[in-house]
Amino acid sequence: MTCANPIAGATLVDYWAGDLDEAETAAVDEHLFGCADCTASSARVAAVAQALRAEIPTVLLRAAVDQMRARGARIRENGFTPGDRREVDFAADADLLIHRLGGLDLTGAERVDLRITAESTGALVSDIEAVPFDRAEGAVFIACQRHYAALPHDTIMSLSIHAAGAPPRTATYTILHRFL
Amino acid sequence: MTEAPEAELVRAIAAGADDAPAAEAELCRRFAPRIRLYGLRHLRDQDRAADLVQAVLLALLQAARAGRIADPARVDRFMLGTSRNVAARMRETDARTAGDAALAAIAAPDEPLERIDTEALWRCLRALEERARRVLMLSFNDERSADEIATLLAISAVNVRVLRHRSIAALRRCLDAPKEVDA
Repeated sequence: MTCANPIAGATLVDYWAGDLDEAETAAVDEHLFGCADCTASSARVAAVAQALRAEIPTVLLRAAVDQMRARGARIRENGFTPGDRREVDFAADADLLIHRLGGLDLTGAERVDLRITAESTGALVSDIEAVPFDRAEGAVFIACQRHYAALPHDTIMSLSIHAAGAPPRTATYTILHRFL
Repeated sequence: MTEAPEAELVRAIAAGADDAPAAEAELCRRFAPRIRLYGLRHLRDQDRAADLVQAVLLALLQAARAGRIADPARVDRFMLGTSRNVAARMRETDARTAGDAALAAIAAPDEPLERIDTEALWRCLRALEERARRVLMLSFNDERSADEIATLLAISAVNVRVLRHRSIAALRRCLDAPKEVDA
């Protein structure tokens, strides 16, 4: 019952990361359907990959923040109002920063889009349509994560608020990150 | 029956003898995890993967009972082909499976994928070095390719892949270890 020619662990990780080409992916699929051992190995990689995928989206709701805090996440929350331009520290003992992009009237909002660019270069960092938003609190919560240190630190976060029968409104927050 | 080759199980189902129900259950037990993983990888969703498991196992049982599996020794090929077809159809139509309730009971999905506790995941992520953590999160949480990450971190794509593989292995070791050891 032991596989004579098991798929390399590195290949399984590439497979789950979506970094194999079509032919390589098909070859892995074929092997897995014929092999219980490699299926078990693949499941172990998949479980971790799925857990990381499920971890934390860039934009979330207050309830999700509270839930993570309850689970023991070390979260620092910073509040911003439109037009703010401020530095924030990602302290070494924090798991997550929450940027509360507030001061918004979201009563009639149907959709909120988020666009993040670098202040210095104008480079697009992230462009997410229809982000979750907290209508009652008039805010959007950004989950700033440690691995974002790889992205530009000087971010302009621009929210477009779409409501019926009115042109979209824009609110802009400039957040300069320092990863400590 | 639990040790029988898959071809034998397929033949037992086609023959419809006394051991056919046990053969059906065993064949489903063996293939469910493979179909589930295929669904997870290609449909990117646990619920749809569960639907795929059920649809493909139903097709398997129907084909096996009707003796329509041409080469029982390559039932794995039949399963992969069916999984590909059903997954493609699901992507197009977003259809959920329906049909024979008695067959569906036999084709009941297996145990879902191992659930990793968030707290344990964070504890283990913290134990990794900074760059390893970044590579993992950029890969799986941000869905960036090895090439993109290589550019972001100014290392080669080969290094990204090596680091990613090592980090997944380290995470696995940490997650599998008894909590007291690395607490």
